[in-house]
Amino acid sequence: MDSHNRDFYLYEALNARVLGVSMDDVITNKFFAKAFWLDFLLVSNPLAWMGKQYGAYADKAPFLPDGSVNNFGRRTVVVDKKGIVRYIKDGSPDNKEILSLLLKLEKEFRGK
Amino acid sequence: MEKKSVIRMSLGIWVILFALTALLLGGCATLAPEKPKIMVPTDRGTVLFLDKYEFKAPVGWSLMRNLEGGDFELGFMKIEPGAFPSQTTFMYDEEPYGSSRDLEGRANQYCTRFLFNSGMIPEVTKREKTRVMGLDALVLYFEGENPVQKEKAKSRVYLIKKGNRVISFVCTQWRPLKGQFDMRVFEAFDNFVQSFKFLKKTFYENLDEEIQKLKG
Repeated sequence: MDSHNRDFYLYEALNARVLGVSMDDVITNKFFAKAFWLDFLLVSNPLAWMGKQYGAYADKAPFLPDGSVNNFGRRTVVVDKKGIVRYIKDGSPDNKEILSLLLKLEKEFRGK
Repeated sequence: MEKKSVIRMSLGIWVILFALTALLLGGCATLAPEKPKIMVPTDRGTVLFLDKYEFKAPVGWSLMRNLEGGDFELGFMKIEPGAFPSQTTFMYDEEPYGSSRDLEGRANQYCTRFLFNSGMIPEVTKREKTRVMGLDALVLYFEGENPVQKEKAKSRVYLIKKGNRVISFVCTQWRPLKGQFDMRVFEAFDNFVQSFKFLKKTFYENLDEEIQKLKG
């Protein structure tokens, strides 16, 4: 989150929008955003449908029959302006890789 | 006659074996990739680090290098006499804690996170403006104790405004609670910082240029 926030001005310059998604409730996310001075939006998704749609679960479903909750795995997804998923990576985000891709997409979009 | 032919045969086998070994070894020699030297000394008393940076390498310190990216770009470490943890590390970190691109703002954010994982909240004992590599910078002096782990730390952090970003140099000395800090290592750290030069544009500087070109 910290690294995305540091690069936020570059995301904006490359016409990208950043959304953080978590299963935490709105109040928890609000405190989290404040503690980390986040400039981008956090989406509270307690029913986990976004995580499921974007494949952020490695092997287990979000809610298990025994009542336990399986939180999102860390996944970065880049969706282009046409809604096509152009990048997926699990684990810690590689910001340089993401920014290089966004530059490429912006060049493609501008036909350069 | 038979004896001679046996000798010739065995000699022939040895020659073939020798030739095969030579070929294999030769093959290995040509296939092994040459490892690039991490630090190359110059005649200016400095070292070139992977052709990216030039600085005065501290004598008697071990090089730490982050092989998987992450917390720091390069650093040095020294184990010092005394009970654990008597050691000092210093490093160049291009992504210091926080996200503000303003030096004062970044310093405020930095102070809330620095050494947080060590279980201590170090106090800023001094904070002063300075210049490093001709750039605006802030130096933060920290000191903190962890009575549970029975250890203490003293740190000096340079936050430097480089282009659109803030970079940092960080030195932390660890001691047991009753140990004495050694200020000489901070001199070695200061010399390292003051001698540091960038030999290439960073990824972010190149990206800024690409974005300007795209917009222009």
